[in-house]
Amino acid sequence: MIRFENVTKVYEQNARPALDSVSLEINRGEFTFLVGASGSGKSTFLRLILKEDKASSGSVYVAGQNVANISSWRVPKLRRGIGVVFQDFRLLPQKNVFANVAFAMQVIGKSRSIIRETVPEVLKTVGLEGKEKRMPHELSGGEQQRVAIARAVVNRPGILLADEPTGNLDPITSMGIMGVLDKINQNGTTVVMATHDDDIVNEMRRRVVELKNGKVIRDEAKALYTSMIPVVGESRRLKDASGEELNRAQGAQL
Amino acid sequence: MRLLFILGEIGSGLRRNLSMVISVVLVTFVSLTFVGAAGMLQMQINQMKGYWYDKVQVAVFLCNDGSTAVGCASGPATKEQQDNLQAMLESPAVKQYINDFQFESQAEAYKHFKEQFSNSPIVDSVSEDQLPASFRINMKNPEKYQIISETFSSQPGVETVSDQRQVLERIFSWMNGASVAAMGVAAVMIFCAVLLITTTIRLSAFSRRRETGIMRLVGASKTVIQLPFILEGVIAAVVGALLASVTLWLMAHFWLNGDLSRQFLNTPFISSTQVLVIAPVLIALGGGLAGISSLLTLRRYLKV
Repeated sequence: MIRFENVTKVYEQNARPALDSVSLEINRGEFTFLVGASGSGKSTFLRLILKEDKASSGSVYVAGQNVANISSWRVPKLRRGIGVVFQDFRLLPQKNVFANVAFAMQVIGKSRSIIRETVPEVLKTVGLEGKEKRMPHELSGGEQQRVAIARAVVNRPGILLADEPTGNLDPITSMGIMGVLDKINQNGTTVVMATHDDDIVNEMRRRVVELKNGKVIRDEAKALYTSMIPVVGESRRLKDASGEELNRAQGAQL
Repeated sequence: MRLLFILGEIGSGLRRNLSMVISVVLVTFVSLTFVGAAGMLQMQINQMKGYWYDKVQVAVFLCNDGSTAVGCASGPATKEQQDNLQAMLESPAVKQYINDFQFESQAEAYKHFKEQFSNSPIVDSVSEDQLPASFRINMKNPEKYQIISETFSSQPGVETVSDQRQVLERIFSWMNGASVAAMGVAAVMIFCAVLLITTTIRLSAFSRRRETGIMRLVGASKTVIQLPFILEGVIAAVVGALLASVTLWLMAHFWLNGDLSRQFLNTPFISSTQVLVIAPVLIALGGGLAGISSLLTLRRYLKV
């Protein structure tokens, strides 16, 4: 569904690339966590999928299509196949829940009757039935994020990109949001979620791709937030830690 | 659905930016009024040219008692001199340039003078013999005035040769000057209008960046995202152009065809329906400028 082939993205010449020859394939229907420190390239990865940015070298394929070959007037078509959710929800404050979700359908020219039929269905999927008339400021953070998710999936995209969707939410609310994303994934949507939230990653046990300084340093199925196997970049720290432990153990012996 | 949606977006944009939109309307209104006024002046000049150039004549004035010109040293023109001039006018050398000519005697000149200044006390102080007799010549081509002037002004008994067209030319050049000045003001105002539209669209795009950001993400087409902004500018400018057209029409109807045409009875003024020819030009100009400047602004300030 999403394939990166030696993708490098350089924002500024002379600076470290935001992505450094990343090769990766995410299959249809997969749920993938993208983890790594701030500045590790997670957001760049998502932006390249949306063709918000152009790769400096290498190719990005979305649904079998090289995004570099998509002409600018066909980019909207690419984006209709991708839903996006952000940490800050990005709802329209002067529109109610129904109108916020309907907006995504209106702007691509869906008919009124289809909107009336689809929006309540989607709101039910994200657990917001009966809250159609609420304004965003009357909702909790978790509910607002559910509205944002509803808006992202209302046009039934094949891919859902989530950039730190639980970043502003408490752990329990976050688990609720994960339940919604999981449900959407179960319905066949490929989900890519960039996150810092180790509890969630550890709880979900899905594929984890870890980025560091623009490179993929780990790609594990059913993984935890931190690696269970020592990896190249991490090995020294682990060794040091165990060495210290060894010293302490020796000290105890003495 | 999409049309309704775009209309709704335009409505909310206009409401949100009301004061800016009003200023765009007013600036385009003023600038296009000047453009239209320049156009009207040109129409008026053409109208007057068409009307007067058929009627203007070259007049060869004969000497009378009070003449001081060199050719009049021997006193008032004699019958012999007059016949001589008439013979010259009928000679083939001159005839090729003129359509026809009439002789206006002093008595006739006095009669015309009285008619022309019927309301003025000057009539009482002028007597018949103070006015010169003249040959009134209708030229085939008014541009050939110089030939007549050279031929006749040195003849005995001729005081002066005058081309009425020159008087009109002065009026026309004054009117031309006025229309150039109006165009100049219009150019400055149009420049203001373009800058103002650019700023308005920028503000509008900025205040709606949330919406446009979301529209972009869910895959709205460039048209759906940009059209409301462009139409916002175009609608404001077209309203300005309509106001300008109405103003020009009112001017033509109540001023040119009202007061002025009562004061200058034998001047042909353009009619208010002729002004309606200018209106579509103004509307197209206003709408076109607004559309182009909005489009260029959006290309810089609205990522699609």
